[in-house]
Amino acid sequence: MHVEAFRRMSSDAGSIPAASTKFNLRNVLLNKKLIAKKKRVVFLAGLILFLSIFSFSQNQPYLKISVKDYPDFSRAIIESPAPLAFDIERSFSLLMVKIETNVPFLVQKEPFESRLIKSFGWTMGAESCILTIETWDTNFRCDCFTSTDPPQLVIDFRKQGIEKSKVETSANGGEATENENHPPAASQADSKTKDMSSPSQRIKTVVIDPGHGGLEPGAKGRFGTQEKYVVLAISLKLKTLIERNLALRVVLTREEDVDVSLETRAAKANNNKADLFLSIHANSSYRKEARGSETYFLSAESTDEEARRLAYLENNPSQPEKGISGENEEEIKMILWDLAQTAYLNQSSLLAESIQNKLNSLFGTKNRGIKQAPFKVLTGVACPAVLLEVAFISNVFDERDLRKEDIQNKIAQAIFQGLEDYIALSSQGEVKK
Amino acid sequence: MNRKRLTILSLLLASLVVLVIIFFRSGTKEKIKSSPEAPPVQLQPSVPKPGETRKIVLFFLSDEDTFLHREEREIVADSSIIRQAKQAIEELIKGSEKGLISPLPPETKLRELYLTKEGVAYVDFSEDIVQKQLSGSSAEISTIYSIVNSLSYNFDSIKKVFILIEGQERETLGGHINLSRPFLPLYDLIAD
Repeated sequence: MHVEAFRRMSSDAGSIPAASTKFNLRNVLLNKKLIAKKKRVVFLAGLILFLSIFSFSQNQPYLKISVKDYPDFSRAIIESPAPLAFDIERSFSLLMVKIETNVPFLVQKEPFESRLIKSFGWTMGAESCILTIETWDTNFRCDCFTSTDPPQLVIDFRKQGIEKSKVETSANGGEATENENHPPAASQADSKTKDMSSPSQRIKTVVIDPGHGGLEPGAKGRFGTQEKYVVLAISLKLKTLIERNLALRVVLTREEDVDVSLETRAAKANNNKADLFLSIHANSSYRKEARGSETYFLSAESTDEEARRLAYLENNPSQPEKGISGENEEEIKMILWDLAQTAYLNQSSLLAESIQNKLNSLFGTKNRGIKQAPFKVLTGVACPAVLLEVAFISNVFDERDLRKEDIQNKIAQAIFQGLEDYIALSSQGEVKK
Repeated sequence: MNRKRLTILSLLLASLVVLVIIFFRSGTKEKIKSSPEAPPVQLQPSVPKPGETRKIVLFFLSDEDTFLHREEREIVADSSIIRQAKQAIEELIKGSEKGLISPLPPETKLRELYLTKEGVAYVDFSEDIVQKQLSGSSAEISTIYSIVNSLSYNFDSIKKVFILIEGQERETLGGHINLSRPFLPLYDLIAD
């Protein structure tokens, strides 16, 4: 909503637009002469609006969502009038089902209570409808089936490891196999089963983002050191280290002194299917004494807002038009963009910790140095992502250090070690599962 | 001729209906509580009665640590929260009187301050806040949250703060913190 309010403000040269637009509109309405004068414009506008309303009211496809709990699993059924083309992505407790459509869906949700499924949310984009299913626990497995008659998508959620304990506890039932307990499964004739149990945690691609560049030098030191050169040098060293020692693909968002927008940086990460994103910066503070490294990851604060919006969309299913009007589409893009990093906050904090530990031991810093803030560049990155402020260019001692090649090497080495630690930790996590 | 007029008339009527719908739909959204175009009577600063002041707390940096530190100020206890909030920001730009460090460039000018019914304060600064800004995450965070905390802490009706530059939305101050969303206060940054 605020974005809208702001747009009004800015579009009318920063003055009081909300009230005045309304006032004008009322004038138009009351003054038929004025309408007559502008009838051509109004006629065209009216025609366009009519057409859009007309096309909107034409048999709108719907999605009917229902959830049912069974003894050992929970089932979500998504019904639609026609077979669905969909794509499923999972991260932690969120399952995102992207359904391709060029017409907006009307989503009906039956109220439910489930042991495994916490909530449903949906947003309507230009070419797709995205359903988000949130579970109570991150430790779940899900299987998807589709059937054509009736056209539906069935997603079964199982708590990890529950099947074993079930068999054990229902000893009396003897061989009461899982299958018997199952409700009539969606006709599995043409089912494509997707096992989402282990989202591949194997890290293949690391995207390194040297901060600033081109016309934007970033922080500047008293001796004239510019952040953009220092961070590029460190990034290139880090790239070499990773490529040599770990068989990983490394992509840099810039390899020379050029301007790259913040959104492009995040997009480069996503387009290259980044598994880790490291944005490398040098810090600056109004406190000249400030020294040492800091590692940031995205703060959830900025995303709380989005959670509320999703909740709003969820609670207003009777207003599907909320999801399609042009101005809302922009909002939805922002919501989806913001959701990208939200799902990875836990991993991002772990990555931040691993790297900060190594940087702290390099500089002998005592404080934790891990912080959260709403960083623009991290917002849209769909993988664990951190922003490193390796040292303070605004501090003369740190600045002097940052100019030295051996210190740059040591910083790259520390980041590399932190990365190694993180990879080891995350692969351990996979083994545990 | 008659038929043509009839079609035009019906089309006009139709578009009228559409406009009415749009009018009523758009009318439910938030309104700006006050702004420079408000009636001039409201714009004239009410003559403060002598002695009518209130204490507010501003937040600055200190050499001691990375936290924001309090500094009390007296401002005119104006009947309008917006005018009080403007005073607070202007005092913040002036800087500390007790040797604390100001995280706002002194050249910065406050252009305007709006407050929505929902409690979002739109604080519009001059370009200086970007041009004279130190580019670094720490600097940006302290600039932003000294503004946000100073407003939210003193004025209950301000729940969130949206920072504008020269009347426009800006992506960031210096390439780090996202300005395209309103900020909630972050009192964790305040020293005990």
